[in-house]
Amino acid sequence: VTRLPEQPAERIDRNKLIRFTFDGKSVQAYEGDTIGSALYAAGQRTFSRSFKYHRRRGLMCCAGQCPNCIVAVDGAPGARACTEQVRDGMKVEHVNAWPSLEHDVMSATDAAGGTFTPPGFYYKTFIRPRRLWPVYEKVLRHAAGLGKLRHNQPEREWKTEYRRRHADVLVVGGGAAGLSAARAAAQRGADVVLVDEGPEPGGRLLAEGQQARVDQLLSEARDAGVEIIARGSALGFFDGLVPVWQGDTLHQLRARRHVIATGTIEQPLVFAGNDLPGVMLSDGARRLAALYAVKPGTRAVVATTSDRGLEAAIALHEAGVQVAAVADLRSTPGAPATTLTRLGIEVLPAYTVVQARGKKQVSEAVLVPVQSSGAGARTFVCDLVVVSGGAIPASSLLLQAGATTRYDETHGHFAITETPEHVVGAGEVVGHEQLDVAIHSGELAGLEAAHALGLGDSQSTAAADELRRQLELAADHRAPVAVPPAAIGAEHGKCFACLCEDVTSKDIGISIDEGYDSIELAKRYTTVTMGPCQGRMCQLPAVRVMAQQTGQSLADVGTTTARPPWVSVPMGILGGPTYEPAKRSSIHGRHRELGGNVKWAGDWRRAYDYGDPEGEALSVNRAAGLIDVSTLGKLLVQGPDAGEFLDLLYPNRFSNLAPGRIRYGVISSDAGRIVDDGTICRLDDESFYVTTTSSGAGAVEEWFSWWLADWGMRVALTDVTQGLSAVNLAGPRARQIMAKVTDLDCSNEAFKYLDGKHALIAGVPCLLLRIGFVGEVGYEIHFSAAFGEHVWDALLDAGAEFGIRPFGLEPQRILRLQKLHILVGQDTDSESTPFGAAMPWIVKLDKEQDFIGKWALEHYEQEPPATSLVGFTMTDGYVPTEGAVVTDGAGTPAGQVTSSRYSPVLDRVIGMAWVPAALAKDGAQITISDEGRTTQGFVQTKPFYDPDGEVLRS
Amino acid sequence: VSLEFLSPESGAADAVARTPMERQARASGALFEVRDGWNLAVSYGSSDDEANACRQTAGWVDVSHLRKLELQGTGVSQHAGLELATATRRDDAWWCPMTPDRALVIGGQPAAVREHAPEGTSVVDVSTAFAAMTLVGPQSREVFARFCAADLRPKVTPVAGLQPVSIARQPGLIVREAEDRYLFLFGWAVGQYMWTAVQDAATHLGGRPAGLDALHPLEEPLEEMSSRA
Repeated sequence: VTRLPEQPAERIDRNKLIRFTFDGKSVQAYEGDTIGSALYAAGQRTFSRSFKYHRRRGLMCCAGQCPNCIVAVDGAPGARACTEQVRDGMKVEHVNAWPSLEHDVMSATDAAGGTFTPPGFYYKTFIRPRRLWPVYEKVLRHAAGLGKLRHNQPEREWKTEYRRRHADVLVVGGGAAGLSAARAAAQRGADVVLVDEGPEPGGRLLAEGQQARVDQLLSEARDAGVEIIARGSALGFFDGLVPVWQGDTLHQLRARRHVIATGTIEQPLVFAGNDLPGVMLSDGARRLAALYAVKPGTRAVVATTSDRGLEAAIALHEAGVQVAAVADLRSTPGAPATTLTRLGIEVLPAYTVVQARGKKQVSEAVLVPVQSSGAGARTFVCDLVVVSGGAIPASSLLLQAGATTRYDETHGHFAITETPEHVVGAGEVVGHEQLDVAIHSGELAGLEAAHALGLGDSQSTAAADELRRQLELAADHRAPVAVPPAAIGAEHGKCFACLCEDVTSKDIGISIDEGYDSIELAKRYTTVTMGPCQGRMCQLPAVRVMAQQTGQSLADVGTTTARPPWVSVPMGILGGPTYEPAKRSSIHGRHRELGGNVKWAGDWRRAYDYGDPEGEALSVNRAAGLIDVSTLGKLLVQGPDAGEFLDLLYPNRFSNLAPGRIRYGVISSDAGRIVDDGTICRLDDESFYVTTTSSGAGAVEEWFSWWLADWGMRVALTDVTQGLSAVNLAGPRARQIMAKVTDLDCSNEAFKYLDGKHALIAGVPCLLLRIGFVGEVGYEIHFSAAFGEHVWDALLDAGAEFGIRPFGLEPQRILRLQKLHILVGQDTDSESTPFGAAMPWIVKLDKEQDFIGKWALEHYEQEPPATSLVGFTMTDGYVPTEGAVVTDGAGTPAGQVTSSRYSPVLDRVIGMAWVPAALAKDGAQITISDEGRTTQGFVQTKPFYDPDGEVLRS
Repeated sequence: VSLEFLSPESGAADAVARTPMERQARASGALFEVRDGWNLAVSYGSSDDEANACRQTAGWVDVSHLRKLELQGTGVSQHAGLELATATRRDDAWWCPMTPDRALVIGGQPAAVREHAPEGTSVVDVSTAFAAMTLVGPQSREVFARFCAADLRPKVTPVAGLQPVSIARQPGLIVREAEDRYLFLFGWAVGQYMWTAVQDAATHLGGRPAGLDALHPLEEPLEEMSSRA
């Protein structure tokens, strides 16, 4: 019914019909329609219900700025009907109304709830009795909101694609200025990206029907190599990084120069009933008619503060809308008023709209002269009230980039004054309004960006000078704008300053009365500017209301801080792809095939067990076991000063270690605290092979590198952690298994405990370390990661006849606990010293060299620690939680359990704990308080299994 | 004690070296051949199709078998005639200066590398410390853009340009081997993860995995560079 004849700039294809549903009802549209234009054409006037009062809301801006048309599309809330294009079969639903959009129960709050719902009501009411708060919260959350997310999202449905793009120049805004800037910079050789929110660049030119101009600019920009990202919203400015949301892609744009040509945002007027369906911004009404050939109303009243509204009135008249009257706030209306008068349209100077009346939509508008106290009011029957309260620069990105503003009295808004070096504004956002002026402004910005990058020539420099001259001239010819009253007509009804959050001018007054008398405080208290429009439609009205009610000037009130995101964006877009970096050993696939229970261990995926941790541990003690220890940190330290380097890093000595021998080492911090441990094998006179804990590998490598750089020693440090696989073959039958896979003499005489040797295992060159973390005869075998599965398979095959089993991290923890071998980070913390951890023997204070932490360790040697790390056994079979508290006789916490397990080979519960030093003696009884249970344990200072290390050395 | 354990060379015929992405390649339909002791994905059914993908969109090739040697010593990069941020093609290998005192040589033969290494330089075989992929094709820069923030535009990373950079949130190194061809290194242990990241990005853009044989028709630029050197 409301479709117009073909419009010159229309974006719809009348030959292609599309059907979609709105709240279950079928709606017909043309390809190119937005949901909003199609529904409006079908007669729909109410698009949503407001946030708090559940008032009817209809199309207003038709540009994705305001919150009035937010709907859910195919179950996803947050879509703006006015910009979301229709697709065949799409399912559109209203949000925030129950049981239906037409009959919303919660709309009672509009009539009766005002008294109970002042700003900040949730701080004042619904707070007692406190136990009912969860109920209140549920009710309030149900009553307000912008739609509901589905509880379950199909996997990767919201997958975002990140795309990083570097550019010389990024232009944000594809209107006349933006296109001109992009074209100018690209024609001088710059790599330019242009981002525009619309389905196609053109900005206001499109709505004004200047398609040919757009086509020309676009064509020239493309020919110059500009990459155009349409339907892309620049979300913010983060130190030069501009994230741009485009569909399911988040572009991360980094440019050397930025041109912000985001234009202006038309502002509403604050009057009674200014949110009724049928109250529409002038640009919105024009866009609806020009782009989608939808007649916004049959009889309109226009209220404006500038020529923008007057031009809209002419355009609407040409589109067939009867314009009943035009209220121009200025006492001398602009030039277009002459045209209106000629068309027979009444223009009322110094008038504004005071009230829009109607139940479901506008049916009348009341215009009043601004200087009178009600006299001269005129009432017009109409179904459309077109308002234009001036325009504010869309300056958020500029402000986020560091630009400054000041209040511009002439134009009634905050204008950009300065921008940072790498950022420049162009076009309307910096006050260059008229089309030709905006184009010049863009061209100049593009040229300046190119020149700053070292591009361009004398000709372009001269062109830039000429453009500057023309812009200076144009500055004197800006059309006058009247500043509208902060709010008018409050005695007739609610005057909304903020449509998103249902904040009225009265609400802001209340917040001021309650002491929230700065704009930043009022923002937080009333939530004005915090809704989906992010202040686009409400910041200036709120500032005006605050200025009016506090008696301050607008400049003194100032603005709220511009913060990203500039447009509302799904969290999933920010979340990005679900990349989860995981390190896997080269034997990982085998662990999976063997039924390994794989879990995270630091940044590695590791087999915790193969289904039977205790059985696996027992197998190591009774036969043989094989564990993948490829995650250990591995460093090659080479050079003439390698031994001295390690002597400086460790509290014990390594320069006197014989080639082919291994020594345990603990790395301490400057403060003498344990930070890591591992073994060091001297490979030859100048080469040491250092292992670290799995989780400490990166930190130790950094620690070594840092000191190496500082000391400048003749040492080459190479991190081979990921380059080598490592497995530990351990158990009473380990030697027999080794005999099957290597020619090396593995007898105890030839290959002693703490020897390191080279050998071929199943044909693969390996470094064999005879060490025993798990307490049995053991061979830690290190070899190129390219042979991980080969060596693993060979050892398991060879060990099959001896009952070998693979074992995981959990049985390893049982086994090492039996030997009281510490796990750094598990049994130690940032306060633990080697003395407290019962390892005084590792600190060689008599060493000739200084070493890291020596001063502190000398101190600790003189003052024994208050607590000591000991082993303990439980008498009642209870396995205390790791972290359980060890208490003293008075029940005061005096230590904690660090490790505890049931040992299958010992058939008892064992553990390690920090206890008061006085209790660090064999047989001492300790009390453990664990989750309300108090139990007893007995201290043991020597290993539970093979206390004298005879097995290890056998 | 010998340092042979660092090397991916074995004395046994059945001890075949494998890359960390072998299982992913197999799952994608790779056909394998043992070459020079490595089990390598030589094709995915049709080397011609793969080469076409490398010419028209993007193809990724597991080249983890390439030898990598780390050179360390005071001023080693300068002594080896290398210029920071630029890889030099020499003896079928990329000589990559990482710092003034550290360089990485990718590809080629160890003997040749040792011959060219300045005297007194520490040379360590780190072949399996780093896995590697080659990404080829006009879309390869766009593929990188999905998981890497490096600026790979020609004006910033020209052919033979070198960038130590985070790749899919992991430390890595990118060498621009030719106009539309990049070699990149990353930790051996993150091979499976990296394959997934590359596959996810490249497939979306029309790319596909390619076998080593698909690279043969595309070797000309590298051969030219080697011959110039």
